[in-house]
Amino acid sequence: MLKSYIGIFKMEFKGELQYRAKAISGIATQFFWGLLQIYLYMAFMTSDTINGLTLSQLSSYVWLGQAFFAMRFITMNKKIGKDITNGNVCYKFVRPIDMYDQWYAEGIGQKLASTLLRFAPIIIIAIFLPPNLRLYAPVNFIAFVLFVLSLILGLLMSHTISMFAIFLTFKTLSDKGSVGIVSSISNLLSGVIIPLPLLPLSLQNILNYLPFRFISDLPFRIYIGNISTHEGLIYLAIGFAWLIVLIILGKNLIKYALKKTIIQGG
Amino acid sequence: MLYKNYLKMHIKSSFQYRYNMIFIAFNQVLINIGEVLAVYLLFQQFTLVAGWTFYQSLLMMGIVFTVFPFDECFARGYDEFPQLIQSGDLDRFLIRPVNIHYQIFGSKIEFTKIPRLLLGITISIIALVNINIDWNILKVLVLIATYICGISVIFGLFVFSAGISIFTVENLEFINILTNGSKELAYYPINIYAKWLTRIFTYIIPIACFNYLPLSYILEIGTIPPWLCAISPLLGMLFLIPCVLFFNYSLHKYKSTGT
Repeated sequence: MLKSYIGIFKMEFKGELQYRAKAISGIATQFFWGLLQIYLYMAFMTSDTINGLTLSQLSSYVWLGQAFFAMRFITMNKKIGKDITNGNVCYKFVRPIDMYDQWYAEGIGQKLASTLLRFAPIIIIAIFLPPNLRLYAPVNFIAFVLFVLSLILGLLMSHTISMFAIFLTFKTLSDKGSVGIVSSISNLLSGVIIPLPLLPLSLQNILNYLPFRFISDLPFRIYIGNISTHEGLIYLAIGFAWLIVLIILGKNLIKYALKKTIIQGG
Repeated sequence: MLYKNYLKMHIKSSFQYRYNMIFIAFNQVLINIGEVLAVYLLFQQFTLVAGWTFYQSLLMMGIVFTVFPFDECFARGYDEFPQLIQSGDLDRFLIRPVNIHYQIFGSKIEFTKIPRLLLGITISIIALVNINIDWNILKVLVLIATYICGISVIFGLFVFSAGISIFTVENLEFINILTNGSKELAYYPINIYAKWLTRIFTYIIPIACFNYLPLSYILEIGTIPPWLCAISPLLGMLFLIPCVLFFNYSLHKYKSTGT
């Protein structure tokens, strides 16, 4: 059974790797955004630290965000959206595999491929930028290991949240709108619009325990040493607990939506 | 008039998918509110950015949020120009005895941007009410010119990238930096960025002309001569000329993609 999902994953992975020109253009864009953001925060920062964060930590945070942007965003396969709105999705019902699992494998394949295709060039360029604008090394080796671990959690979490957009598409029949709603909430609460460490502490105390911050905020903050390895382990456990809860919830919602789906012939 | 017919047609066609339209519009407003919230929270932490207060910065955001949806609504044909090329509609436009620009304007009107436009106007009003300004006739005129300048500069960028897409057929993501990059940059006073960035976005793409330049005249702050600040929106509007010339040149070179 698992084999078919791995097959789906591989297929999407290879498909995504075909779009190299798109990736290069995307990298250039991300690079410009990164610079822009750092210059902006430089203008904001009048003192050396803000909420215990130095400018060099902040620029590392921004570059990591740009390097791994493909996994931070809430996306939905256009094919899925189209299939649901035009009704072709019913052909998939006849297959003997779980819809949620199939879409999950597809999406993770795409997300992983587009992340792997894009992150290295940005990291390499960012390392060689002038001081205060550049990406610094992780605080220590254990932090780096935890960073990689939490990045995997982030990829899964980002996609698990994306899956709710599919449910919304079933309900609203507007794929663009559904992805938009989920992503605008996620972007604000996960630190894509502004890094969470820059927010007022009282707000951070709430956001730290919501699922969105596990997408990218946790790994980046472990990397720059803003969260100690001890604290990081605790957060990692909370994150995985959220992941399980959200997957179960998402699975049931999709099941419910599929049950309610009326196919109008044609 | 022909444009009236275009308008009627687009209203009819978008109201065919009413819920979809409302949903998309609602969602776009939500994105903008999220962005305003983000800026508000940043200002909670820092109170002043390079001497600008939250409401002063909010006014710049209000300008961007007004002029951008305006162009996206009424100049959508240029914004999504690659679609006109790919679908072959451009070829059909070229053989009709009506001005090409007129037809591109009429090819698409995006009504889902209207709520966003209203939000932009609301934000501008909220900001203006909360800033102490000694109003006089000239300042009102400068403010109006600022909005018109914003509309023309962003429209110029749309026309320019449409001109480029005649050669590339597809909309390159990199070109988006020009439009979306300018937009995000203009959320804050442009002069807070690094010198080279400020220069590019003052002299090459005149974002500053609907951003901190006219506002420093209206708010009476800054070191740049006031008369220069006052006429800056007029200078910014000139940006449209080379963009249109470039577009016409590209169109002259246009070879159809075939069917």
